[in-house]
Amino acid sequence: MRIEITRSGGFGGITRTWSLEVSRTEAEQRWLPLAEAEAGAATDARRADAGRADATGPLVDRAQTASGAGPGEAAAPASRTPERGPGQQRDRFTYRISIGYTEVTVSEGRLDESWRELIERARAEGTDGAGHGPP
Amino acid sequence: MQRIHCGIVPPHLLTRLAALQDPRLSGASSAARHALLELDPVLRERSEALRAPVRRGSAIAGSLTRRIHDAGGREELPGEVVRAEGAPATGDVAADEAYDGLGSTYRLFSEEYGRSSIDGAGKRLDATVHYGSNYDNAFWDGERMVFGDGDGEIFGRFTASLTVISHELTHGFTQYSTNLEYQGQSGALNESLSDVFGVLVEQRDLGQDAASAAWLVGAGIFTPSVRGEALRSLKAPGTAYDDDVLGKDPQPATMADYVETTSDNGGVHINSGIPNHAFYLAATALGGEAWTGVGRVWYDAVLSGTIPPDCDFPTFAQATQDAAGRRFGVDSREAGAVAEAWTRVGVLR
Ligand SMILES: [Zn+2]
Repeated sequence: MRIEITRSGGFGGITRTWSLEVSRTEAEQRWLPLAEAEAGAATDARRADAGRADATGPLVDRAQTASGAGPGEAAAPASRTPERGPGQQRDRFTYRISIGYTEVTVSEGRLDESWRELIERARAEGTDGAGHGPP
Repeated sequence: MQRIHCGIVPPHLLTRLAALQDPRLSGASSAARHALLELDPVLRERSEALRAPVRRGSAIAGSLTRRIHDAGGREELPGEVVRAEGAPATGDVAADEAYDGLGSTYRLFSEEYGRSSIDGAGKRLDATVHYGSNYDNAFWDGERMVFGDGDGEIFGRFTASLTVISHELTHGFTQYSTNLEYQGQSGALNESLSDVFGVLVEQRDLGQDAASAAWLVGAGIFTPSVRGEALRSLKAPGTAYDDDVLGKDPQPATMADYVETTSDNGGVHINSGIPNHAFYLAATALGGEAWTGVGRVWYDAVLSGTIPPDCDFPTFAQATQDAAGRRFGVDSREAGAVAEAWTRVGVLR
């Protein structure tokens, strides 16, 4: 299964695309669940942005469990915070990761070790689709 | 109070949590601020600044204070202090370029516009160099500038161009003044202010007038293998590079070529070409030192109180016209040049 990673933003604003082939098994067991968790976080945040009451409880709970989180989970509180924008960070990269028909967008500051590994692998493959500016 | 232990949650997440304004998350937010206090005295100041992002105090003249850190190739902040204010050069090129670049930027704002540091209250200027491995970027993290060394194939070190350093520091100035939202047109204005004051710092250092300046952002950070002279051009947006691997500089110069995109926070580094070019047109129409003429107008506009965080291009254009009228007179050459420039890029009619 083909995974395509498009990196936009950064100081240069240069869009770059890398891709790699992984087995269907790897995609289904490893990357698709991660992408779906990421997409779920985005949905939660949109609900919170809209000020819907049902998002209030879980949001607080999750944000406050940070003390018990392991390194891999440390990104969770921030990914569930209502603010989906870059906060006060400027010139950072944004990654769009497409796995089959599933697509997620993750800002550089929120990439966990798994996503970093995937990006490293794609870059190492050297199949650079080259930037042609924004789509 | 809920406790967050600093070894587990990385500082940038703590910072993010600490900055939350949402009352529903006040527990997490105060726990994060507490963890920041334990972490490091440097971060303590960050934590305090986040609670009061816009400080209004009396200016402390001549209080340039810099601190350069070295991340040692890791993606961790802030790294070890390698040069504090007044210390001799370290011999590390990136650390010394960052130190000097912060000084040049500080002096433009202080000596030309009378502003004491980025917050107007003498805030210490912090930077981290050697961030990450083969890291192709420089950024502002809300409290400090961070510079990568580049991958050596496309980018060299990001401190090699003064305009990169002054661009990043101007993000701090914007954060403490208009705090323009980093999305769409307000984000492109945020980017443009960093490019505009970024090139003005270099022009002032080199003693260049508007006609002889290069008007380039990031000249000299590409390796020789890249076909391109810089990352952006205020003089001719869209022409800074044209390379097999990187593609062509996508910046528009006028509203006719405005790029609608979801990438890059809505094209903040792309559509900044339009206000960038307006500045260039006004500055070259007037001639002379751009930082005292149109630069002063842009600075006045930023501090005029008429620029909302979600400012669009026409609102910003109007603010610069008003600022030019106030400082130089409504019938002045300056006011005329500013109005003409915004018309030529298609923002005002
Ligand atoms: Zn920027």
